Amino acid sequence: MGKIPPSFRPAISNSLIKRQPLESPTAIPHQFPEKTTKKRPSQHSKTAQASLGSRKAEPLFKSPDLSSAKKVFNSIVVTTKAPIDLRFHNTLLQSYASVSTVNDSISFLHHMVKAHPSFSPDRSTYHILLSQSCKAPDSSLSPVRQTLNLMVTNGLKPNQVTTDVAIRSLCEAGRIDHAVELVKELSLKHSPPDNFTFNFLVKNLCKCRTLSTVYGFIDDMKSSFGIKPDLVTYTILIDNVCNSKNLREAMRLVGVLNESGFKPDCFVYNTIMKGYCMLSKGSEIIEVYKKMKEEGVEPDLVTYNTLIFGLSKSGRVKEARKYLDIMVESGHFPDAVTYTSLMNGMCREGNALGAVLLLEEMERKGCSPNSCTYNTLLHGLCKGRLMEKGMELYRAMKSAGMMLEKASYATLVRALCREGRVAEAYEVFDYAVESKSLTDVAAYSTLEVTLKWLKKAREQGLAV
Amino acid sequence: MLPQRLKKAITDNPKKLANLIDLVNLPSTVREFVGQSQISRLGCFMRVWSYIKQNNLQDPNNKNIVNCDEKLRSILLGKPRVELAELPALIKLHFPKEPK
Repeated sequence: MGKIPPSFRPAISNSLIKRQPLESPTAIPHQFPEKTTKKRPSQHSKTAQASLGSRKAEPLFKSPDLSSAKKVFNSIVVTTKAPIDLRFHNTLLQSYASVSTVNDSISFLHHMVKAHPSFSPDRSTYHILLSQSCKAPDSSLSPVRQTLNLMVTNGLKPNQVTTDVAIRSLCEAGRIDHAVELVKELSLKHSPPDNFTFNFLVKNLCKCRTLSTVYGFIDDMKSSFGIKPDLVTYTILIDNVCNSKNLREAMRLVGVLNESGFKPDCFVYNTIMKGYCMLSKGSEIIEVYKKMKEEGVEPDLVTYNTLIFGLSKSGRVKEARKYLDIMVESGHFPDAVTYTSLMNGMCREGNALGAVLLLEEMERKGCSPNSCTYNTLLHGLCKGRLMEKGMELYRAMKSAGMMLEKASYATLVRALCREGRVAEAYEVFDYAVESKSLTDVAAYSTLEVTLKWLKKAREQGLAV
Repeated sequence: MLPQRLKKAITDNPKKLANLIDLVNLPSTVREFVGQSQISRLGCFMRVWSYIKQNNLQDPNNKNIVNCDEKLRSILLGKPRVELAELPALIKLHFPKEPK
């Protein structure tokens, strides 16, 4: 096996790459990029605060006490060079809100209005209060309603942005039931949520409520307020059922989606493919790919990564390899995820050396491996009893300060113990704890279980 | 190889986890070694292992063996030489299962 293959070396230069789980090619939600482009007035105040905050390293308001806050406000007004405009007031309010209670913030706002009659709070100002009241540790919605009422009495009708701010803040605070309650209330009185808010809420509901609750909510919103689920909503739902391995429901949803006049796009297909990957159903994965082609939906990088991941996972490495070539032909640049998936498949087949060769090929093509790649290889080498190469790789990873994953750590420790290299196993344990790859408990219990197993194996004459 | 189901067992099992990280009142011998009256099994292991490393107690010819010094012997059944592989089991002896 000789010296370190060149491909191990870059471990040293790649120390800072974040661990990338294999499932990452399957990230779906395409509403994210759109969300960032959506302007929300409240963001003005946030950016303003950021710029002001960066000038002054420490927070403006240190105490939640109202009277001292007023003093701080008065002194800032005297000393500041910044124009005393809406943004200025919003910034101060925001920064006070981060330390105070809702009622104090409201009083502070009144104080500012009194001190500067020219300052007339607009929606963004009230959104600050609203967001604060949504995050307040309260078991009811009354502070939220209070701020909304305040807004209305000052002649500002809550709009879609208001709804969005409130729902996001509530979800962030983990008050999903309140979010549902409030969205219905707001739809009834003021403004129904737009698709972004609606989908955001559906996504959060999916995370922590049963499917029937989610369906109930969607039906409710549809029948009461005419908010129809769109393609993104369906993608979220399909993703959700795929994650719980309920492919039949996913197929039903695809049917519903077609009936409602939507055409599945790349994201939908990717999601379904991921679902089949979870079940290691190779033929179905290829089926989805073919269907995409038939329907004229162009597969993207994620599609290919999912496809290769799934085929490797279900033991069809040769085909996966074939798709790597197809992928390149169709103009996609395979990334670390692609190669790692393929290596994973090869290691599963017991072809760890082939995986090492692939690592070299990958680097020749200008794609740098990440810590997940190395962990996969380490795991494969140890499983394949190629200990010398495995230890070499481990040392390269260690000198690069790379994290060990739980599986590769356990395999390495076990392989070392099996060969009677207990001291080295202890050393790996030390590194795992030191590099914070695993918790002490996880690292130790693996070691302990392995040593227990070793004792048994020795008694039966199976290990050194 | 270890069967698949064993891999997850410990960290997923709250009882076993508690057994590992709960503070336990120590018998006098161990108390002297660690210098405090309560410690978890995990903490105790870490202490002993770092003690071995700090004092270079691993046999230079075979790193898998620990040559115990006086202090270490007192908590490891008085054995002069201990295999690293049996260290967790030996430490576990000081942490008997709670009678139900």
